[in-house]
Amino acid sequence: MMEWLIAEVFAKYNYWVSIVLMLIGFYAMIAKDNLMKKIIGLNIFQTAIILFFISLGDVSIGGWGGGVTEPIVKGALPWETGGIVEEGVVYANPLPHVLMLTAIVVGAATTAVALALVIRLYEEYGTIEESEIIEKERERELP
Amino acid sequence: MKALTASALMFVILLGALFIYVAEDIPAFGDPYSPANRWVNLSIGIEAGSNVMESLNHGVVPDILVREIKNRGLPLPEGYKVERGGEEGWKGWDILIPKGEMFYPNLEKYYFIMNEGNRLWIYRYSVPVRWEERCEEEIGVPNMVTAGLADYRGYDTLGETTVIFTAGVSVILLLRRRGKL
Amino acid sequence: MRVRGKGKEHGQEHKQKHKRDVIVTTVARLMIPFIQMYALYVMVGTEGAGGGFQGGVVFAASFVLFVTAFGITRGRRRLPESWNAALSSLGLYFYAGIGLLCIILSLFSAQYLNYGALPLWKIIGRPETRGLMITFVVEVGIAITVMAVFASIFFDLAWKGGEDNKDNREEGGE
Repeated sequence: MMEWLIAEVFAKYNYWVSIVLMLIGFYAMIAKDNLMKKIIGLNIFQTAIILFFISLGDVSIGGWGGGVTEPIVKGALPWETGGIVEEGVVYANPLPHVLMLTAIVVGAATTAVALALVIRLYEEYGTIEESEIIEKERERELP
Repeated sequence: MKALTASALMFVILLGALFIYVAEDIPAFGDPYSPANRWVNLSIGIEAGSNVMESLNHGVVPDILVREIKNRGLPLPEGYKVERGGEEGWKGWDILIPKGEMFYPNLEKYYFIMNEGNRLWIYRYSVPVRWEERCEEEIGVPNMVTAGLADYRGYDTLGETTVIFTAGVSVILLLRRRGKL
Repeated sequence: MRVRGKGKEHGQEHKQKHKRDVIVTTVARLMIPFIQMYALYVMVGTEGAGGGFQGGVVFAASFVLFVTAFGITRGRRRLPESWNAALSSLGLYFYAGIGLLCIILSLFSAQYLNYGALPLWKIIGRPETRGLMITFVVEVGIAITVMAVFASIFFDLAWKGGEDNKDNREEGGE
């Protein structure tokens, strides 16, 4: 029992955290009425995906033992060890970092356009609750 | 509770159960066996005879391995080199091949043959390993992430800047209606 | 471009009231140059952490601080509409332009965005050429575009009042 707990739950804690955040964001997107809360839910969802991806880039040899360092070459600057590159350093995988930089920027752009849409909706209907907007649309259609 | 909230909660719980079921199969992070980090396993193990290992030690890839590599449609051009090497604790042979492009004249590590349990397995080095090892001598930039964003993956960053530009234009289009645009 | 007397009068008519606070204005006046210099430091992403996107966003954050402390009318005067259109296109022009320059200057033998093929490599050597092109052209272009777009989005979202605001029309007509 204990080893199942350690192997399945404690060793993979990054997946659990990411799943919980994803579900919180997803629930906020579906079940809340206020449009601003839906936008915040979208942002939380995006953050969870980015955290999950970056946590995949850990390549520490030996699991819980020695860790990895950031993906910048150590000792390459002239004022650090005279410009001689150190050997035998384990770097984190740089590919998830590169892809997630693009994802962060796309998330920020999406949030900006969503906020502009909410402003337009407010000027048009006078409210940002989704149920009231649907009622006003239904009233408009009835002749 | 309203109907929407209750149904959303149930849907989210079911989705959570599905995620947990999937997450049990993924290896723990920090796992050196995880293929996304180091290499990609290419072939089923081949019986390691002593003449195969002798020819590998002398720098010639034997015919069995050449046939395996060619069957998958992967390159093995002329001018390759075989070296003893590999990571710590993974003793094996590296095959370095020339890429054949005009401005990248170096040989680079492409395949990795490992001897485990008396069988030979062929792996292929994944791309970030090449970034880590060559970014200082090829570009002169110590930061691997910037080197990857701006040079190795420059097309993605070009598209990314276009996305930002489009977002700015669309916010202008949405929010200014009267007067001159 | 900036007709100072005329703009001030019209700004006074339709001005958006901004209550100035002593502490906030003093701190902002001290901090904004240092924030912008830090943004330039972050923008050089080659010798440490950072990059074009990060530096551009920190630079746009200094504009947000300016608007918080001094009011949006004064902030809009610092980054008018014509500058925004020019800057956001300029950054993208740098990036796409250096790619095209690599094709042309190496006499059509290199690929797009292959910085090692510029004739600068005969003086310095191939690795340093690639590093210099990344630092001075690509990152600067990305940072300029990101800064202009994020500042423009912020001004659009925060601008209150009717569309027939004389301030807006005067700058929109340029």
